[in-house]
Amino acid sequence: MIELLAITDDATPPAPPVRAVAAAGLSALCTPADTRELTREALWRREELLEELMAGRDLLPVRFGTVVADERAAERALAERRDELAAGLDRVRGAVELALRVHSEEPDGPQASSGRDYLSARSRRAEAARELHEPLAAIARESTVLRGEELLRAAYLVDRAAVDEFVAAVRRLQDERPRLALLCTGPWPPYSFAREVSP
Amino acid sequence: MTAAGRDVALVDLVDRLIGGGVVIAGDITLAVADVDLVYVSLRALVTSVATAEQEQILPRMGDALARDPL
Repeated sequence: MIELLAITDDATPPAPPVRAVAAAGLSALCTPADTRELTREALWRREELLEELMAGRDLLPVRFGTVVADERAAERALAERRDELAAGLDRVRGAVELALRVHSEEPDGPQASSGRDYLSARSRRAEAARELHEPLAAIARESTVLRGEELLRAAYLVDRAAVDEFVAAVRRLQDERPRLALLCTGPWPPYSFAREVSP
Repeated sequence: MTAAGRDVALVDLVDRLIGGGVVIAGDITLAVADVDLVYVSLRALVTSVATAEQEQILPRMGDALARDPL
């Protein structure tokens, strides 16, 4: 049983324990499938492997939990979906993902005494989220707003060369808004920009 | 990454593991029921971290940028 971590078209051999299974001009980067322990440590170990791989090559992360019987099955998966996977890889080439969550010190549900107050508080929050998201989206190659409890939860696909500029923009937005907390993490493998490639 | 940085970043990691990554057909061995259980556990993990984050003093950008940019 092997777990598929990512797809790449870079032929550089990965360091153990990761192995590359090649087919149809693509490689699946795989590890032996461990017992499926869901501890933080296990999740971070997997993430570290992916990030080491990402440092040296462009890759398309595979959905967590994708386990196949053997290398033959991995080869078949590559061959069957070759064109979509290659297109997905082109989409994220040269870029990484940055995550942003924004907490507001105001309670999440507006404490409104009337429907009108509620609507106006909601529209203020939407406006505040837009003012944060738009300048960052302008730096990013692509962006997507994710579901979450926060004022804003979003993912940005950023050219590797533009990461510094993106981080500087986040710091500026934070400095201008002492009542908000901007949590920016990354660079991540481009997980959020790999999922639309559908089977 | 520091331990505190990892706590902050865990929400983002789990978000990505649940919803991100390319779905490959092929011979996926993990049963759908197993996947659902995995995702329920991950969601519980992310909820507990997010709640802790809200209850503590709000962490700031400077604490939270988890890794050096590439």
